[in-house]
Amino acid sequence: MKKVVFLYLPLIFVTTVSISSCGGKKEEQTDETKVLETQDTAKAGVLNVGGQLFSVPSPIQTAMFIQKLGLPFNKSLLFPANKSNAFNTDATRALMLGVYGADLGYVSMYNQTQEALSYLASIKQLADKLGISSAFDETTFKRFENNLTNKDSLVTLVGVAYRSSDNYLKNNKRLDISSLILLGGWLESMNIAIESYKAKNNEEIKRRIAEQKLTVNNLLQLITMNAPDQTDLIASLKELSLLYEKVEFKYKYVEPTTDTARKITYINSTNELVMDDATFKDILEKLQAFRNKITQSAS
Amino acid sequence: MKKIILSTTLLAGMYFYSYAQCDTIASLCVKHITNNYISDGQQYRAMLLNPEETAEFHTTLFAETIYRFAACSGLKDGNLIFRVLDKDRNVLFTNQNYRNAPYWDFKSKSTIDVIIEAQLDPDRNPGSGCAVLLIGFRQK
Repeated sequence: MKKVVFLYLPLIFVTTVSISSCGGKKEEQTDETKVLETQDTAKAGVLNVGGQLFSVPSPIQTAMFIQKLGLPFNKSLLFPANKSNAFNTDATRALMLGVYGADLGYVSMYNQTQEALSYLASIKQLADKLGISSAFDETTFKRFENNLTNKDSLVTLVGVAYRSSDNYLKNNKRLDISSLILLGGWLESMNIAIESYKAKNNEEIKRRIAEQKLTVNNLLQLITMNAPDQTDLIASLKELSLLYEKVEFKYKYVEPTTDTARKITYINSTNELVMDDATFKDILEKLQAFRNKITQSAS
Repeated sequence: MKKIILSTTLLAGMYFYSYAQCDTIASLCVKHITNNYISDGQQYRAMLLNPEETAEFHTTLFAETIYRFAACSGLKDGNLIFRVLDKDRNVLFTNQNYRNAPYWDFKSKSTIDVIIEAQLDPDRNPGSGCAVLLIGFRQK
């Protein structure tokens, strides 16, 4: 059975053209396409193609997690909404679009209407400067404004808006921008989680931060493939990935149960976290230094 | 040389057709992420050239969160088979047992990394097609 990975379509195209241009030598690998043969796929006799799409948890999910723990709203955790003009490269603007998206998710979760409007305005400015205003168009902003008093609708709209922008950016081959937005959003959500952890010493937040191991590796691959010129970001992600290597999980499979009527499957497997305090401290420091680096990168 | 130009032109045409196809499928698939679910902000796509091909995708399910996976291909529901596996490739769910249900919810006791595999159903779609996967998580 042939196996492919969820791909960005532009890379499928590039790869296919490369193959046909090489007289059908399917095994031939080029720098352009970065075709990788992994141990797993080698066994199956197929190729995994670089540039695959990786999942990064939504920043809104982290905001919702923090809010459900009963922690009060804390504006000081966020990056100020009025700083969008300080970023003047596409890369920093994309990162900040992610940061502001995470902050918008957080303020929306706490029904902070005025703050939500400020972050929306900054998001619009950044999107305009990046030339992707179609991704955050007037209709989207009108929908936000019409739902400002309804928290549930607002957070849903944030998710929809970012999914639409992701779609727009992929269709327009702006994979570097879409990847940097994801990185910025994730770093900001981690910063919110870390500051919340420091305030309450909450074990659940600690665990949530530790559980980002796969996400860090996904982000590393995503940025390496789609924004290879961002060497500083890649280096920081590699350092973070090495720290996360020390975080271990003891997984035990337990048969899942399914409620067919409700169309839901309960996954009963357990996954015990094993992490020492020194590793956690190192991860916190590295994450915050990384987040501060991108928010202070205005030149 | 002519062959290369011809095949490049054909592939370019296929590429733009694929985009349009994926866009249409994604816009239809969105209906399964209903208002009580928040999108994870991403759209995952794979072009499957035949039912033998499997698209693979890795993600983390955080504990006690209800997730909805919507998986679509073609203009009708049920063209795509999807499976959720754990890191050891134990099958946790397959929609094949539920008439290729286009969406399903998941709640995990612990945070775990999972693999989602998607494949065209040869009985419903013997050719190629775009597979779209959307993920949402429940607000309440």
